[in-house]
Amino acid sequence: MKIVKLPKNKTNDFIEHLQSFGEVHAPQKKGKKSCAFQPVTDPSKVLIGEEGFLRTILPLKKYFHKPVDTLLKFSPKTGFEDAYEEEGNKVIFGVHSCDIHAILSLDRVFSGKYVDTYYFRRRKKVAIIGISCVPDDLCYCQSMGTSFVEEGFDLFLSDVGDGYLVKVGTSLGDDMVSSAGDMMTGYGDSDINEYKRRINEFPSLFKTKVDEADLPAILDMEYKSEIWEEMGNRCFNCGICSMVCPTCFCFDVNDEVCLDGETGERKRCWDSCLFKSHAMVAGGHNFRESRADRFKHRFLHKHQAFMGDFGRPSCVGCGRCTQDCPADIHFVGMVKRIKDDITCVHSGEEEK
Amino acid sequence: MPKPKVGIFSLTCCEGCQLEILNCEDELLDILGAIDLVSFGMAQSNNLDIDLDIAFVEGTVVQRSEVAILKKIRDRSKLLVAIGACATNGGVAAIDYDKDREELKRIVYGEAGDFIPSITPAALHEHVKVDFALQGCPIEKHQFINAIGYLLHGDLPLLPEYPVCTECKRKENECVLVQHNIPCMGPITSAGCDARCPSHYLGCDGCFGPVDEANVAMEYSIMKEKGMADDEISRMMQVFAAKSPIIKGQFKGD
Repeated sequence: MKIVKLPKNKTNDFIEHLQSFGEVHAPQKKGKKSCAFQPVTDPSKVLIGEEGFLRTILPLKKYFHKPVDTLLKFSPKTGFEDAYEEEGNKVIFGVHSCDIHAILSLDRVFSGKYVDTYYFRRRKKVAIIGISCVPDDLCYCQSMGTSFVEEGFDLFLSDVGDGYLVKVGTSLGDDMVSSAGDMMTGYGDSDINEYKRRINEFPSLFKTKVDEADLPAILDMEYKSEIWEEMGNRCFNCGICSMVCPTCFCFDVNDEVCLDGETGERKRCWDSCLFKSHAMVAGGHNFRESRADRFKHRFLHKHQAFMGDFGRPSCVGCGRCTQDCPADIHFVGMVKRIKDDITCVHSGEEEK
Repeated sequence: MPKPKVGIFSLTCCEGCQLEILNCEDELLDILGAIDLVSFGMAQSNNLDIDLDIAFVEGTVVQRSEVAILKKIRDRSKLLVAIGACATNGGVAAIDYDKDREELKRIVYGEAGDFIPSITPAALHEHVKVDFALQGCPIEKHQFINAIGYLLHGDLPLLPEYPVCTECKRKENECVLVQHNIPCMGPITSAGCDARCPSHYLGCDGCFGPVDEANVAMEYSIMKEKGMADDEISRMMQVFAAKSPIIKGQFKGD
């Protein structure tokens, strides 16, 4: 693997340089207290590691799997035509390890038996520049095995104090650093020592830890636990956790008809398994009738069903769901209760 | 195929929903090209009392005469669509629906009030069958135009069955409730407005009415945590939706 060093005083120049590879997007202030991936016009506005701006409101999925996406236009006279408007290349700068793992997770989901062209035609236009981060109280990527990333980036920047050690992940990434001229330098012993010191220290920075081992089996045993009813009473089914989740991928497809009653557009938009309509079928039957059923379904899909399909939980430990839940549901706390607390969780069935 | 005959009617209200239909300026000619608008009190004269394919009705039923008007509209319409918070959930006129009408009339109008034939305010569904509702105070014009398109195609419109929060987050808004402690009804209110108020740092005031299965109890306790008094929360939840089946009975003794 090729590794070079980007001194911190060259970071803005490098972001400017990246514009020649596509429109650069990076975390910048959104609203009064938050940040979001947005197009960069002034590199000095890019937020890297500033306190309180650790996680963007929406994860990267918004670029490949749009919140609302017009798929096609239809008309009885001309049939249907793809509504996709060709998008230029993008370079997304400042992506944390958990969010890169999330994209790899979505790549797996959308490249299954039926490859989702709507997703991949945008995905292949995006270069990803990862960056190391310092966890806050809600981060638990360490526990989910997503605090470190080996693939899924074109470049990955690791903070070593006065600069970043830049790991080159792809040939595109190599082009980015090769063409950067004297912005990039070599690295020395002190950089290697600092890199190792930070890597070794990293696990101890996490305040939130959870042990996922054996959770799928325990979730099976606790399928009838009272905890689901309790959470069903608390949850709004508002959908926020699904919208902000970097690995939630469900969508709904609807046709909108124009005023002529004939022509129209087919749109797909982000959906959530927490909605009553999600598992509703013709005739009004609902496979997940109660709020508790739907809450349990989402939780089990993250930590159990996805494990069966893809060999790992779909949760990457980014902390967005807990941060944004209006009902104050602490999702790590949920795992801990189900996993560890033998006093308050039980099967709801009499022992034989 | 003949164009469907459509009427737009108003009971007691501010008539803001009719105004919102007139506000569809860019689409008005297309709308008039697609339907035969035989009655629209705010916009035209020579309105006809004939059989209709679709009747859109705004407003709250607050007088005996309005019950008769509404029933006549229902009798001559294949589809009856409630438009706006008043027609759908009672709206502002129904906030105090449980109070004694005679006493209220005296407080507001004095002796002159004796001649006002006021009855208990009601949403349309309390007097007639409503086929579907377009929510909001006022309605959103894109939903009205969309509904016409669906109806012309022979379908009922697809309306969101999830809360405002989902639309708000799809726009990548910062949460006014979680991040700014601003009381917000988003978690229990039907989407459809594209999170109009929270997008401007105002809490959602619930004009689209409660979403199906709204978790009213949880919303109540969250509002309490945000420092609101019981009567403030009660008012907030009833301003637009006192007669909604989800809110009705939660705060009053009926």
